[in-house]
Amino acid sequence: MEIERHGAMPEVDNRKFFVIFQPSGRRGHIEEGKTIKEASRKLGVDIEGICGEQATCGKCKIKIEEGVFEKYGIESRMGHLSPIGEAERKFFKAQEQRDGYRLACQASIRGDIVVFVPEESRAGNQIVRKAATERAIELKPAVRKYYVEMLPATLDDPLGDWERLQAELNKKFGLGELTIDYQVVRELQKTIRQGDWQVTVSVWMNREVIKVEPGFIVKGYGLAVDIGTTTVVGYLCDLDSGEVVATDSMMNPQVVHGEDVMSRVSYTMSNEDGLEQVNQEIIGGLNQIAGRAAAQARIKRRDIVDMTMVGNTCMHHIFLNITPKYIGRSPFAPSLHHSLDIKACDLGLKISPGAYVHVLPIEAGFVGADNVGVLIAEEPYHQDEMALVIDIGTDGELVLGNREKLVSASCATGPAFEGAHIKYGMRAAPGAIEKIEIEPSTKEVRFKVIGKTDWNTDLEAVEAKGICGSGIIDAVAQMFRAGILQRNGRLNTDLETPRLRITDEGPEFVIAWADETTIGQDIVVCQDDIRSVQLAKGALYAGAKIMMRRLGVANLDKVILAGAFGSYIDKESAAAIGLFPDCALENVYAVGNAAGDGARIALLNVGKRREADKMARQVEYVELTVEPDFDKVFSQAMWFPHMKDAFPHLKSLLPEQVVQ
Amino acid sequence: MASEERTQELLKGLADAVVAFDEEKVAELSQAVLEEGVDAYEAVINGLAAGMVEVGALYDKKVYFVPELLLCADALYAGLDILRPHIESQEGAVKGQVVIGTVEGDVHDIGKNLVKMMFDAAGWTVHDLGRDVKLERFVEEQLKTDSDIVAISALMSTSMLAIPKVIEMIRARNPNVAIMVGGAPITEDVAKLYGADGYASHAGNAVQEAIKMISRLRELQKK
Repeated sequence: MEIERHGAMPEVDNRKFFVIFQPSGRRGHIEEGKTIKEASRKLGVDIEGICGEQATCGKCKIKIEEGVFEKYGIESRMGHLSPIGEAERKFFKAQEQRDGYRLACQASIRGDIVVFVPEESRAGNQIVRKAATERAIELKPAVRKYYVEMLPATLDDPLGDWERLQAELNKKFGLGELTIDYQVVRELQKTIRQGDWQVTVSVWMNREVIKVEPGFIVKGYGLAVDIGTTTVVGYLCDLDSGEVVATDSMMNPQVVHGEDVMSRVSYTMSNEDGLEQVNQEIIGGLNQIAGRAAAQARIKRRDIVDMTMVGNTCMHHIFLNITPKYIGRSPFAPSLHHSLDIKACDLGLKISPGAYVHVLPIEAGFVGADNVGVLIAEEPYHQDEMALVIDIGTDGELVLGNREKLVSASCATGPAFEGAHIKYGMRAAPGAIEKIEIEPSTKEVRFKVIGKTDWNTDLEAVEAKGICGSGIIDAVAQMFRAGILQRNGRLNTDLETPRLRITDEGPEFVIAWADETTIGQDIVVCQDDIRSVQLAKGALYAGAKIMMRRLGVANLDKVILAGAFGSYIDKESAAAIGLFPDCALENVYAVGNAAGDGARIALLNVGKRREADKMARQVEYVELTVEPDFDKVFSQAMWFPHMKDAFPHLKSLLPEQVVQ
Repeated sequence: MASEERTQELLKGLADAVVAFDEEKVAELSQAVLEEGVDAYEAVINGLAAGMVEVGALYDKKVYFVPELLLCADALYAGLDILRPHIESQEGAVKGQVVIGTVEGDVHDIGKNLVKMMFDAAGWTVHDLGRDVKLERFVEEQLKTDSDIVAISALMSTSMLAIPKVIEMIRARNPNVAIMVGGAPITEDVAKLYGADGYASHAGNAVQEAIKMISRLRELQKK
C-alpha cells in the first residue's frame, strides 16, 4: 500500500520533507537539499560540530532510523539522503555505515527521515532534573561485608574452601545456612589464596555469599536506578555511609521507538524482534550509567554489589524482557505485582557478577514500581493528613489518602508536560524557556531561559529555543491571570497587543520574538497548545476528584508534586490553572524525583523493601475509565481552573470573577 | 398547527439552544414543538441537528473544545429524548444504520460517543456496542442488523493494531459494508493502510464522511 509522503508536492520547485529528530522529538518540514545540520538548527536541535561543517571533526554523527512510522504517516529510509561521499566515509566503519550512521553536516535531505542523535553528538546536555533529595534513611542494606581470617588447608585438615569459610562465618558472625553464588564458587580458591586465607565476604540478605575479595575491604556500593519513560537515572551509593557518591542520567534510549509508553508497547507488538531491541537498549543504557557513575566515584563496576530498580509497569516489563503487550490492552493486568530479586548477570547488567537486582513491586497495570518508590519515600500511610501525591510525568500517577486508606490511579496525561504536543515544546535543556511572567495591564512578557540567570529583558543574547514543561504551565497560568486566556481555554482575540495574532491555524500569543531565539521564528503559544494542556491537566484533576469521591473526602490537606520536573513547576501556576483541587498553597510541596528516592531508600534499607511489597498490595487501584460519569468529570476539569468547583484558597491568585 | 413563521422560530431556537448548550431551553422548546403540532422529524433535523452542524464548525474553528462538545451533547439528547418517540418513518433522506464500538482491548469512548451522537442527531439508527468490543461482535452485529456502516474507534496505538484484522473479518462475511475508522492514533494514511473505506479526523466530520461512503458504495453496487 502506497504511503503518502508528508508535504511532497509534485511540480513545485521547493519540495519539503518531514524530518523528526530523536530523542528530542522536534520535527517539522524541511526543504529538499538542506543538510541534516541545517534542519537541526531550524528545529532547535543541538548537534555537536567544531569544524564549521567541513567534514573534518566528525562530531556530528547521527543515525537514520529506517522503517514505517505510522504515527507520523512517513517512511524513513537511508536512501532518502544524498549518497555518502569519500570525505564522510572515513569517519565510519563498514558496520556503522550499514547501520545508517552519517555526518549531519554532509547528508542532505531527499525524503522523509527520522534522525537519531546519539548522546556523544548532542551538544548541550539535558539538565539532570532527577537529582537526589536529602532524605534521612536508616541504614539496613541488603549486602553486608564480613572479614574473616582462616587457617589454611593442610594434609591433616584438607577441608574444602567453602566449608572452611562457612565455618568461620558461622563461628565469628553467627551466619549459618548460607549458600554461595556460582560465579563466586568459580573464583573462590584463587581468591582465598590471593588473600592468604584472609578475605572479605559480601553476604546478601544474610543468606547468600555473592562476592569474596582478598584482604580487608570496607567499602561496598549499590546502584539505585529509576527507569523513566523519558529520563533514566542511576544513583551510586556507598552502602556503608548511605551517601550518594555519583549520579548519572541519560535520555531513555527507547525514545527512538516512541515518546510515550503505548507506542513502545505497540512497537514490540508490531516488530518480531521489537522486545529484544527495546530490552537491549535499556540494558545497554544502564550499563553505560553504571560505568560512568563508577568512573565518577573512582571505583570499578565490580565494586557495585547491589542494585534496585523502579519504573512504570511498561518499563519494568521491558527491563525484565517480559512482553508488555498484555498491559497494553484492557484489562491492563501486569504479569506480576510482587517485587523480584534477579541476578544482574541474568539480565545482562555488568556489575559485580554475583550481585542481585531488587525490582520493586507494581501496584497495578499503569501504576508501577515508580509509584511504589514515591510511596515509600513520602510515606502517606504514616500520616493523618489527607495527602494527594501527583507524579507528573508521561504517566500521571496519583495517590490519595492517609494512614487509614490509600487509593491510586493512572491518568495517562501524556507527554504534554514534557514538551510534546506543544508547538514549540521541548525537554528541559539549555535554551528552554522555563519561567514566564506577564504583566496583566500591558500584556508584556518576560521570561527566563535555562542556561542564563537573567530575565530576557536584561540580556543581550537571549537564545531561546522553545518552551519546556514548567514554562508551559507558567505560560498558561500567566495568560489566564492576565485575561489573555479565558476559562474555557479560548484565547481572547479582542486584545490590543501585537503579541496576539490570528493565523490560519487559529489565534496564538507570542512569548519570544524571533530575534530572542536561535531558531529564527517567534516562539508562540497557540490555541492547540492550550488544548493539549487542558487535556493533560483535566485528566489529572479528574483523577484526583474521582479518587476523593471514592474515599469520601471533601478537602485536601496536602498536595505533593513529584516527578522529574515536579521541583521546577511553580506551584502557584499549577494551582491557578487547576492542576489539582483546592488546597492551601503553603501545603503544596515539590519533592523532586521521589520515585528515584524510593529506589535509593529500598537500596539502603531492606525493611523498606518489605514495606513496599505490603503497601503495593494495600493501595487500592481505581480504574478511572470505568467511572460512569468519567467523561463529564474530565470535561468539567478542562476549564481553568475548573468549570464548577470552588477554590477558596486561591482568592489572591485568580481573577475576581473566577473564584466562587 | 403552527404557522410557517412560528415553525422557523422554534427550529432556530432549538439550534441556538444546542449551540449554547442550554439543556433546559432545548427541553422547553422541544415540548413546544410537540404541543404546537410542528413535525417532530423536522425539528430534529432542521433544529437540533442543524445546531450540531454549527457546533462541529465551531470545533473546527477551535472555538469549541471537548468540554463544550459534551455539554452540547447533553443539550441535544435532552431534545432527542422528547422528540424521537414522536417521529414517523421518513423516506428519501440519506441516512442508514451504523454499528459502532471501541475496538477490543481499548476502553476509551468519549470520542466514540461523540460520533454516535452525531449519527443520532442526523436521524441514523445507531447500534452502539460500547467499548472493548470483541472483534467477532462487530461482524455478528453487522450481519444481524444489516447496517450500512461499521464504525470502529481506537485511542491507543496498541489497540489500533487489531483493526486490520477486524476489517478483514467483516469483509470476509460481507464485502458490501462500508467501514470507517477513527481515534487519536488513526490518520488518513493509517486508515488507507488498514483497508478502511472512510476516515473522519473528528466527530464533526463523521456523518458527512459516512454519507459519502454510502453514496460511493451505492454507485459501486449499481455497476
